[in-house]
Amino acid sequence: MKSFRTRLLIGSIIFAGGLLAVFHAASLAFFRRYPYSFVMRIDHAHILFVAVILIIIGVAQMRRGLSPFDELRARLAGVRDGRERRLEGRYPSEVQPLVNDLNALLDHRDEAVRRALGKAGDLAHGLKTPVAVLMHEADRTDAAGQHDVATEMRTQLDRMRRQLDYHLAHARAAASGAPLGARSSVAESANALARTLLRLHADRGLSMHVNVVTDHTVRVQREDLDEMLGNLLDNACKWAKSRVRITSSIDGANILITIDDDGAGLDPTMRDAVLQRGVRADEAAPGSGFGLAIVRDLADLYGGSIALEQSDAGGVRAVLRLPRNRVSQADSDRGMSL
Amino acid sequence: MRILIAEDEPHLSRQLASALTDAGYAVDCALDGERADFLGATESYDAVVLDLGLPKMDGLTILRRWRDAGLSMPVLVLTARDSWHEKVRGIDGGADDYVAKPFQMEEVLARLRALIRRASGQVSPELRAGAVVLDPRNARVTRDGVVVKLTSHEFRVLSYLMHHRGRVVPQSELTEHIYAQDFDRDSNTVEVFIARLRRKLGASFIETVRGLGYRIEADR
Repeated sequence: MKSFRTRLLIGSIIFAGGLLAVFHAASLAFFRRYPYSFVMRIDHAHILFVAVILIIIGVAQMRRGLSPFDELRARLAGVRDGRERRLEGRYPSEVQPLVNDLNALLDHRDEAVRRALGKAGDLAHGLKTPVAVLMHEADRTDAAGQHDVATEMRTQLDRMRRQLDYHLAHARAAASGAPLGARSSVAESANALARTLLRLHADRGLSMHVNVVTDHTVRVQREDLDEMLGNLLDNACKWAKSRVRITSSIDGANILITIDDDGAGLDPTMRDAVLQRGVRADEAAPGSGFGLAIVRDLADLYGGSIALEQSDAGGVRAVLRLPRNRVSQADSDRGMSL
Repeated sequence: MRILIAEDEPHLSRQLASALTDAGYAVDCALDGERADFLGATESYDAVVLDLGLPKMDGLTILRRWRDAGLSMPVLVLTARDSWHEKVRGIDGGADDYVAKPFQMEEVLARLRALIRRASGQVSPELRAGAVVLDPRNARVTRDGVVVKLTSHEFRVLSYLMHHRGRVVPQSELTEHIYAQDFDRDSNTVEVFIARLRRKLGASFIETVRGLGYRIEADR
């Protein structure tokens, strides 16, 4: 009695049994009243034929009646995979309320995630301006001759700043880590970041080569893809002598995004270390040192990975692996089954 | 060189203003978005330090309005929102550079210097005209290697002319770029500053183009 289908079948058989009993009693009464009527002349084969046809139609109707559940399952899988944000389509009146409730739940969850994200962000951002004010007060304290006070203030403020940066990035990652309907174009993100970074590194005279296939999309939220690519490209720009290159390729269920620079490169023993939290290859380089650690954590969250290798351009090659969004293929699959 | 600071936290605004004044700039402060929008659109600035989270009108809106109106002064965005997604939005909105809060004052100064230098088409950090060298990094002027002492207004006049050397700068433009907004201007004093600069740097160093303005020759 586990299957819905079996329950309905048994229910309809019992119902049909009852119907049969009523009909039997009625026909017995009919024959008693009108013996030798036309009914007695109907061929038994015809009755059997009609019975079989009716049973087949009945079973088919029952299967059809249950098909919305199959569709619902496919749509839910779509939501889980990130292809869709809500359950779309029209359902029978018994199922529609359930679908409406599920959609309401999804909306509520989205809203809760967005609110938590906003709150965490507001908290961290709200603290940044006071930290900035105190940092400049520390400078004034130093200028006034109280060097030890200033040094202690700076140390503590720097720790606060790093904590804010790190946890803000991670709160964002964790909050957006439910990739409902997330899909982003690698090319759009890469082009926007290339534009931005060329402006931010305008003094360096770098050239940026974006060789990303236009329809490569990944199952990652745009903000998080920007954060990962932004950190990797920014690092590449900091170390590059003149050229930075970003390319994309398909590798099974993933997209590989490769970022090369022609800088001095990185000692192989340092490669794993710089992916750890707060370790920097060069303490003199600007930045908090969390960039690569954040890339790693975000990639993990989406089921991807990040690796540093030797680039054929001379510097570092960063390889970011992210789950591919096969939305066009999935759509055509579903189109056929409906 | 005149700079607008649009920052709503009064304490931070004062700290920025005092650091920039010490570095030789004329500084105006706007504590909300509407004021910043108005000042940026009506006054002449060589650079703007713009906080994105301003009350009344947010920084990105102001930036788009300026750029739509054809105002091209370099804008350094100062913000607590420093994710890459936000940086892309800021730069696409017309910002020239980005500094995340909390920041080191030196970093803001260095980036502003670079922005002003690039906007006026200069390549090297030091500005050189003949024997006179102006170094914006420490607001120092030397003539034949000897440090020349200048008042803050004299420095601003010289700095503006040096950034635009080779070009005739009208007196009205010079006035626009050396006084803060609340300062009581008197166009005569520009002539006074020019006279004092000539005394300190050589009579022929700043040329008067009659009826048009002042010029420092590009290559001497």
